[in-house]
Formats: sequence, structure tokens, C-alpha cells
Amino acid sequence: MFPIANNVRAEREARGMTQSELGAAIGLTRQTVAAIEQRHYSPSLEAAFRIARLFEKSVDELFRWEDDPPPEPMLFSLDRPGI
Amino acid sequence: MSFRYKSALLSLVSMAAVYGWFFTTLMLHKFGGRHFNPIVSLGGAVVALAVIQIAGHIIIAGTSSDKYGPPDERERAFDRRATTVGYYVLIVGALAAIATLHLGFNAPDLGHAVLLAIVFAECTRQLVFLIAHHRAT
Repeated sequence: MFPIANNVRAEREARGMTQSELGAAIGLTRQTVAAIEQRHYSPSLEAAFRIARLFEKSVDELFRWEDDPPPEPMLFSLDRPGI
Repeated sequence: MSFRYKSALLSLVSMAAVYGWFFTTLMLHKFGGRHFNPIVSLGGAVVALAVIQIAGHIIIAGTSSDKYGPPDERERAFDRRATTVGYYVLIVGALAAIATLHLGFNAPDLGHAVLLAIVFAECTRQLVFLIAHHRAT
């Protein structure tokens, strides 16, 4: 098992997508999506960004080192003017 | 199972079976005195392998929904790893084939040794591809 944990399965299920649908949307096979979710395969940086873009999340919200705690939800963003 | 997994499995089994028969018969001829026409047998092996591969892939394609999809990054990584291992097996096999000349074998034997090296390297490549699939599934 790879040391990079991820929330891909939770985010996919929250959107009611199947593994095949997610794979088709980002150019991966269903088997590869299953392997990513089970931490048997670490996706490339490009695939990680594709997944993050599809789910409208940042990469570090989806993928983290297994020892690191899950990221806190962001209350504000520095790139929004006036905040 | 994906289409490429089934394809690799078919290639491995068919090559091992067809060339296993060819080289076993060759050894029986060489050391057992059994009648054997190497040209006819090799031609028969190539034709048999082609027929098995074509028919097998038609059947596999009929049972796989992902047959038209290109290989993704994970399958390409498996393929790179398998090709690397297969390359080293081919190099060792080629050197071993050259060594047969120094062991008193003749030119046809050298040809058969080169063919054995190619078959062994290709079988290794398919086997490594299948193992990589199993370890990362």
C-alpha cells in the first residue's frame, strides 16, 4: 500500500459517480481509479490535478501523506479581494 | 479484468504452449533421435500462434468493454517496467546464444538459441506485466 492517503472515494461517492464515470472523465481506466482509491497505486501529478479539478478541490484536500492530519476546511481565501 | 490484462495472459499462455511444444520436439530430435523437420515445425508454430492470437483476441474483445480505450498511465507504467525486465532477459539470452557456438553447436543451433532467447524475453515481459497488474490491483 502506498503512503499517500486520499479522499477520492468519498468525494466520488458524494457526487454519485461510478469508478468508470470518474475514469472516463479524467482519462483513466476503472481499474486504475479502483487502485487509487485502495491506495494500491499513486497517480501521477497530472492525474491528481485532473481529479482535483473535476471535484473542484485542491490537490492537498484530496491527497495527503498518511501521517498528516486531514486539512482543516478553509474559512477564507487570500486570493479573494477585500478579505 | 481489463482487455490488456487478458491480452497479455493469452499471449503468455499461447507462446509458452506453442514454443514449448516446438523446443521440446527440437530437444527430442537433437538428443533422442526423433524425426523432426525444423523449418516445417517452426512455420507450423508461427502459423498456429498467429491463429490462436487472432481468434483469442476476437473472443477477448467480445467480452471486454474497455477494448477501444487507450492504455492509461498505470498500464503504460506496467508496460515500461515489463519491457525493461524483458530487455535484460533478451540481452542475457542473446549472450547465452552466442556462447553455444563456443560449446561446439552449429549455426542452426545458434538460430534456435536466439529464437529461444526472444521467446523467453517476450514471455518474461508478459509475465512481469501480469504480476504488476496483480500487485497494484
